Amino acid sequence: MTDKRDNGSDTLSGADERYERQLDALFAQLGVEQAPASLTRRLQRIPLEEGERRPWWRSVWPASLSGAWPRWVLAPALAVALLAVGLMMALPQQPSQEDVMQARQDLALAFRYIDKAGLITGQEIQSVLGGELRHTVKGNLSKHIPFTEQSHEEENS
Amino acid sequence: MSRKFQTWVAQYQDQAWTLARYLLKDPAEAEDACQEAFVKLWRNQDKIDPERIRPWLMKVTRNLCLDRLRRRHPTEEWEDWQQPADDSGTIPGPMQGLQTRELGEWLKHSINGLTEPYRSLVVLRDVQQHSYEEVANALELSLTQVKVYLHRARKQLREQLAEVRP
Repeated sequence: MTDKRDNGSDTLSGADERYERQLDALFAQLGVEQAPASLTRRLQRIPLEEGERRPWWRSVWPASLSGAWPRWVLAPALAVALLAVGLMMALPQQPSQEDVMQARQDLALAFRYIDKAGLITGQEIQSVLGGELRHTVKGNLSKHIPFTEQSHEEENS
Repeated sequence: MSRKFQTWVAQYQDQAWTLARYLLKDPAEAEDACQEAFVKLWRNQDKIDPERIRPWLMKVTRNLCLDRLRRRHPTEEWEDWQQPADDSGTIPGPMQGLQTRELGEWLKHSINGLTEPYRSLVVLRDVQQHSYEEVANALELSLTQVKVYLHRARKQLREQLAEVRP
């Protein structure tokens, strides 16, 4: 308590010294008030009440990881991630002319392959099963399969 | 974690309560402010240096009290802080031969009559005996400011004491 006067610009007179001592004595007498029991109960309930309101990920997230990375690492990492996402969002969504041309070429090539595959399949069917079955691709299948016709007639009779 | 928190409650609740009582005067509001401060402590316990729990808690308690005062009486309360403690009701007026208990009451009211940050300074440093560093931390002042302001606060109290005990 004696160092309270160490920064005073004015030196204390005898009377002031006396009042300072009285103040010190009174402060010592005041002391810290005891908190009421109701407050103590409220404070002791905080972990229980707050624990129930913890975010769900805190229970899933391993406690060992929560302090694994210092904030000065996490903060720049988060900033970089946000910047990357921002840049991606800022990039034009329309494809370039080159991309469109390339896509058209790829598509034309793909269709040519499909045409070729269809042709080969048709020839294969003709060579193995005969020309009649080849038409089933375009028409009603039952018209071109003899036993199906017979089955219909048997059912009707 | 909870056990550590209960230890802090046991260690610091009286100090937070005393500060809140001096600042808010209203016991119910002081309880609310203290609870709010400890809830903040619970939520931020991982982020606070364990060595600096007490100044952190005092700072938060004080800020919460000041927020409440501003909300309660946006202008009147601050103006009221500029006034010295009134001498009505139970507050003893200028008179000689006050008893020690009465002087204690007088001092409480005199502290209440101080303006901020003097009032918090006196409560933290003189009543609760915190170190200068802790007080500076709690009030976000420099060490020099703490000493200068404290000197001014003590001078005010000395002058008021001289009036009641010439």
